[in-house]
Amino acid sequence: MFKVVNATGGYGKTTIIRNVSLEVKSGEVVALLGRNGVGKSTLMRFATNLIPPMEGHVEIDGNPAPNSPAKRAKSGLGYVPQGRFVFPRMTVIENIAVAAATNGHDPKKAVEEALADFPMLRPKAHDLAGGLSGGQQQVLALARALAIMPRILLLDEPTEGVQPSIIDEMAGILKRINRDRGIAILVAEQNLDFCLSIAERAYVMEKGEIRMETDRDALLADKELQQELLGV
Amino acid sequence: MELDFLATVLLSSLSSASILLIATIGLAVVFGLMGVINLAHGEFLMIGAYTALTVTQAGVPYILSIPIAVAVTMVIGAIVELLIINRLYGRLFDTMLATWGLSIVFYQLAVLIFGTVTPGIGMPQFSIAVGEYSLAGYPLLMIGVAAAMLIFVYLLMTKSVYGMKARASIQVPHMAQAIGIESSRTNMLTFSVGCGLAGFAGAVLLPIVPATPSMGFAFVIKAFLTVVVAGPVTLTGSAITALGLGGGASVTASFMTSVVGDVFFFVITALLLWLYPMGISAKWRRKL
Repeated sequence: MFKVVNATGGYGKTTIIRNVSLEVKSGEVVALLGRNGVGKSTLMRFATNLIPPMEGHVEIDGNPAPNSPAKRAKSGLGYVPQGRFVFPRMTVIENIAVAAATNGHDPKKAVEEALADFPMLRPKAHDLAGGLSGGQQQVLALARALAIMPRILLLDEPTEGVQPSIIDEMAGILKRINRDRGIAILVAEQNLDFCLSIAERAYVMEKGEIRMETDRDALLADKELQQELLGV
Repeated sequence: MELDFLATVLLSSLSSASILLIATIGLAVVFGLMGVINLAHGEFLMIGAYTALTVTQAGVPYILSIPIAVAVTMVIGAIVELLIINRLYGRLFDTMLATWGLSIVFYQLAVLIFGTVTPGIGMPQFSIAVGEYSLAGYPLLMIGVAAAMLIFVYLLMTKSVYGMKARASIQVPHMAQAIGIESSRTNMLTFSVGCGLAGFAGAVLLPIVPATPSMGFAFVIKAFLTVVVAGPVTLTGSAITALGLGGGASVTASFMTSVVGDVFFFVITALLLWLYPMGISAKWRRKL
């Protein structure tokens, strides 16, 4: 249902990713693995149209995705960026409400659902997002992305700088969201354990290209590849 | 009798602080919220004043000329955003140069169209007696106008969907787009709202401050300083700063001279910026 085809892109004249193609099927959880600087985040930004394509395109449900980040969000693409980027001088509730309202959903209902999904946000509901801890901001960024009611969710290093207990909680939530709402997920990660706990399939990136496609079982069996991916 | 005098001083100072605040709120939106240094802000005030003056002279009741002035300045603001500001977000000095040029253009246009001196409109005549003193009513009315403006902008920015979109687009533009907000359109509207507020100020202050091509200069410096001293919590900060600095300057002026009042304003501003380089609200945990 979600496809990146021959993506080539970067910043200014610098090309970071070359000819990258990948696919996430309906209701699937797919990991995008690779070490720092291989182009995972650039690919995510390509997919959301936050950087313009040099070549290649993105498809959602077999249709070419519209050429603006805002329109892409409206066509069902949710995005949790690396570094979270919550709206710092807006409350937790407002961060969620603005995402829902922008896409024509009832903001009150969206906030209620989000606070039910993520109980750890409830005591912070009226606090400014900028004052939350890193883990709380990460969860808020996820709640905000879910408030647009996406059909495909892009997560960029969601475990970075997040304490282990919250990582476990996040994995549980993502699995539940994927199962109950049928939201497909593409998650870029360096945390192998986290990926293996939620994804069935994975792409491994290297130097701006897809090096291989693999699945959970093959990855679990391949100790050498694991070592390589874990190396910093 | 002493008490009556004190009361009149306080009331008239509160009213000058309110006039400063009225002239500042538009800038609090454009500069405080959006971070755009619009050196033509004073000229939007002037455009609002001339619009109100022109339609009043054409026979429209003064009270109706105010919304017309707001509409005119909002449209001009939207066009300016589309043609100039839009291309310069994040480029502070370029924005300053461009809007400075724009202010000169607006000023000269006003000179060409209206000449350098124009008649004021008569102040709506009513006065309020405090003991044996009598105060003109219209300037006192500005206290209520300033409060109403403040509440309006606060509610617009915090309670409406547009307001949330506006703040999101300003705080993290790329993420605002990534959740579906057309942030360039939202920013255009926000800039236009800021200009409309300036137009409102020009129109509502017209009975007190007659329309002249250079009237913008008189306001823009103090308005900018107010917003800078206010810091990141721009609306609450500006209200308190306008009250403190504008009110303080006015109290000083009524006991001494208006020059001493201005000296008070600038010295305290310098002192506050020395103590709080990021503005007095840098550490406040409030949204606006």
